[in-house]
Amino acid sequence: MSLRQITITPVFPLWLIFFLLFIGLAATIIQYRLIRRRLGQHRALALSFLRLGVIFLLISFALNPSLVSRKEQKISPSVAVFLDTSQSMGLKGLAGNGSRLDEAKAILLKGSTPLLKSLAEKFNVRFYGLGESLRSIEAEELPSLKAGGKEGDLTEALEKLAGKNSLAILLSDGNLKWRDTTSMDLPLMVVPIGNPQGYRDILIKAVKAPAMAFRGREVVIDVSIKGYGYKGVTLPVLLKDGIKLLRAKSISFNDNSAEVTVPLSFTPEEVGQRNLSIGIPPQFGESLTSNNTVNLSLKVVRDKVRILMISGSPSLNYRFMRMAFKNDPSIDLLSFVVLRTPSDMINVPLQEQSLIPLPVETLFSKELKDFDLLIFDNLPSHLYLKPSYLESVGDFVRGGGGFAMIGGPNLSDEGRYIGTPIEEILPVRLIEKEDYRRDSSWRVRLSRTGKAHPITRFSPDEGYSINLWQEMPPLDGINLLVPKSSGNTLLERNDGAFQPILTVGTYGKGRVLVLATDYSWKWYMGMVARGKENWVYLRFMERMVRWLTKDSSLDPVQIILPEKTGSVGEEMEIRIKVREEDFSPNRRGTVSLSIFNPDGMKVGSRLKATGQAGEYLGSFLAEKGGTYKLKIETLNSHLEEYLTIAGPMEDLDAAPQPERLRMISASTGGKFLSKDDDLLKEIEAYAERTESHFIEVRNSPLWGRLYVLVLILFLVTAEWYLRRRWGLV
Amino acid sequence: MISRRAFLSLLALGLAKGLFFPKLSLSASFPQFFFTQLKYRGGEWDPNPEYVEAIIEELELRTSIDGLNERRLTTLSDPNLFFCPFLYMAGKYEFEPFTTQEREILKRYITYGGFLFVEDTMGARGFGFDQAFRKEMKEILPNHELKRLPPDHSVFQSFYLTGNIGGRQKVNSYLEGITLDSWTPVIYSQNDLSGAWARDKFGRWMNECVPGGEAQRSSAFKMGINIIVYSLTSDYKKDLVHHPFIKGRQNL
Repeated sequence: MSLRQITITPVFPLWLIFFLLFIGLAATIIQYRLIRRRLGQHRALALSFLRLGVIFLLISFALNPSLVSRKEQKISPSVAVFLDTSQSMGLKGLAGNGSRLDEAKAILLKGSTPLLKSLAEKFNVRFYGLGESLRSIEAEELPSLKAGGKEGDLTEALEKLAGKNSLAILLSDGNLKWRDTTSMDLPLMVVPIGNPQGYRDILIKAVKAPAMAFRGREVVIDVSIKGYGYKGVTLPVLLKDGIKLLRAKSISFNDNSAEVTVPLSFTPEEVGQRNLSIGIPPQFGESLTSNNTVNLSLKVVRDKVRILMISGSPSLNYRFMRMAFKNDPSIDLLSFVVLRTPSDMINVPLQEQSLIPLPVETLFSKELKDFDLLIFDNLPSHLYLKPSYLESVGDFVRGGGGFAMIGGPNLSDEGRYIGTPIEEILPVRLIEKEDYRRDSSWRVRLSRTGKAHPITRFSPDEGYSINLWQEMPPLDGINLLVPKSSGNTLLERNDGAFQPILTVGTYGKGRVLVLATDYSWKWYMGMVARGKENWVYLRFMERMVRWLTKDSSLDPVQIILPEKTGSVGEEMEIRIKVREEDFSPNRRGTVSLSIFNPDGMKVGSRLKATGQAGEYLGSFLAEKGGTYKLKIETLNSHLEEYLTIAGPMEDLDAAPQPERLRMISASTGGKFLSKDDDLLKEIEAYAERTESHFIEVRNSPLWGRLYVLVLILFLVTAEWYLRRRWGLV
Repeated sequence: MISRRAFLSLLALGLAKGLFFPKLSLSASFPQFFFTQLKYRGGEWDPNPEYVEAIIEELELRTSIDGLNERRLTTLSDPNLFFCPFLYMAGKYEFEPFTTQEREILKRYITYGGFLFVEDTMGARGFGFDQAFRKEMKEILPNHELKRLPPDHSVFQSFYLTGNIGGRQKVNSYLEGITLDSWTPVIYSQNDLSGAWARDKFGRWMNECVPGGEAQRSSAFKMGINIIVYSLTSDYKKDLVHHPFIKGRQNL
């Protein structure tokens, strides 16, 4: 004990204590002088010292001295044990008999002295399952724990538990999310699981593909493929559209753990949703084969509607159609006008002619497939087109192209189309007799079909469309045609003759239209003459083109798919729009949604109205990966679309990653352990360094004890006894 | 066999029709192309009445266009004006200003797809018809001026590759026009093309072409055909597919 360990905590103010001391000393001196004469110097001194002793003891008591003792104390650390439970831990473990998770469990639970038990004896241990989310688990749950779900976020877990634990232990194969942060203050000891040397797998690690492609333009899809344990092996990479092989390429790895990026290109020929798959056939000895394939959806659209129009002669019909097409930025028009026939005389040298040859060979033998729509405008085709070109037109329409014939004196080419593919394509019958009339004027009216058809129905209000067409200026020239049973007449003569003016139909995958007049331009100028806008003609032309080219904007039912590819377990939402003629608020339940999973089985779905007319929100739970078929049915139409859901292990890179774990442990200030190490010893040794220390301070009052009181009483009693004996009392 | 009474009745009916209904109805029997000449008040609206036959004959001979060998007459108040594909206006002298309503109609016709070919057959710059017409155009389209058409304008390439205007007289070596976007709905000439086309009933040219003679007349026909083809095809010759041919022939 030293003086430094003594401290005082006065019970009175110090000035009062010193004042009392002074009074006590003064009284003792006065007393000494008074009793010295009577008792002599020695006895007076003895009594005075006794008194002084009492005074000093009392003053000391008032100062309340105490002894401070300091002692260093240690606290056993709280240890968080993370057990990786993500899907990669379900793969085969080191021993080969169980999964990686089983391997981790064995480390914790098995052996003569299980690590878990030993840890629990020495430390305050808490267990956590690190899967898609961090989950606290009891020790009893460990044996029944199963692997599954996406990789866990280790950074988030450590940040969450940093303040509550002084050490963390991780058992993992290294497939987890990790962001290196400098603020991490929870050291991590890592026990690697799995055997990287024995792991063999091929996986499609990443696919870089555009969300949308243009028809007729090459699409390049970059595929990154990673291989473990397949050095020097040549593997095929296959790009498929359904079961149709689009492209195949070979790759080989120059190392046992290597990544190769291969571009796969193809040119989509049809618009619409393409359900593509990229795959590598499963290889012998692969640990995981479900990551050999990736499914993706690619929406193929046309950048512009490409129209090839050939007109039999310069005409107002040509000029107004050209104006309408040129005004539409989504249309790319290539037109040819026959400025002179072979019988016309031009009488000038070639240098003074602007006429160019009609490149029929190139157009009909090579380039026709590049167009979406072919228009014959009053074309006497026998002068320019060989029968083989007409065959090409037939093939073009059969394959999905649009074809329109615009009327005039040469619509039927004096019956020369009879017996050709053109006759077969058209939705009207052709007759040998001249069928063009220009001797009167004819108004048009909407047919029953025309009242609902997207080409002629301009408004949800049926009466409005009927009146609009009836008000149109009369046509001064028409072709007298008879519709085929397969054709649908949309506009007909208004004089009761039931002559079709506008007839549409389908042929193969394509759509066809016949406009039996070369005076439709009057529908433009007629409205202008009345002081009205010219939109009716322009919209008519636009809709004609869009319908012929199967533009989805005219489809009665439209589906808006989610922008992001969904994943298993996710609730997928799709938006459905139904045109007015297919939807009536009074006929609820007329729209139905059916969802079929990749196995073709119907799955549960919900459909509810959004509150906006004709708009619905459909949803279903994606229980497995693959391509789902969505089928929407209304009173008059139906639509099928496809939605791709990524499989749970589609892009899983499950290779054990000990080096990554080593890096993670180092960055947290922890330690990377080996299964061969004495784990308990290592953990204990590390725990010692991370033990918490603190100084315990104890305050022991020196005067607050019985012997001090006894001493005071003794001194007072001794003084009283001596005084009495010496005759002072 | 027809009786004398019936024959005389039919003859009388035919004469009456010719006398009282000299023009064809606009609502029936439209061919693909025909001239519609604009009648207006004051000045002289019809300086070359016989121009149609020869140019239509040439048009049908040289091109695939089916034309009507007879002109139609119209006024700005005619409701059928908008169904006339090619409006022709000619004159020599100053004419009465159009009414506000007429100007509105002509503006609407020009703006919404009509085509107007105008000729000052006098060819006096700044006087008479030229002065009155330019004034009217300023009133009708104040934000658009009559400008010289560049040599590469579609009207010089629509059928023939020519920059030679031709005409009865050679006042200008260019055409003027009002262009809206890429379309020129108003083309103006002071060379009297229709004077060069005019032919009498016996097939003789009614006017001499000076100073170029018959070559100048030939150019007038070519330019006339080009203007008609342009009115029916717009800037078709500006399409890319024509470029290499036209440039090659022009040695560009």
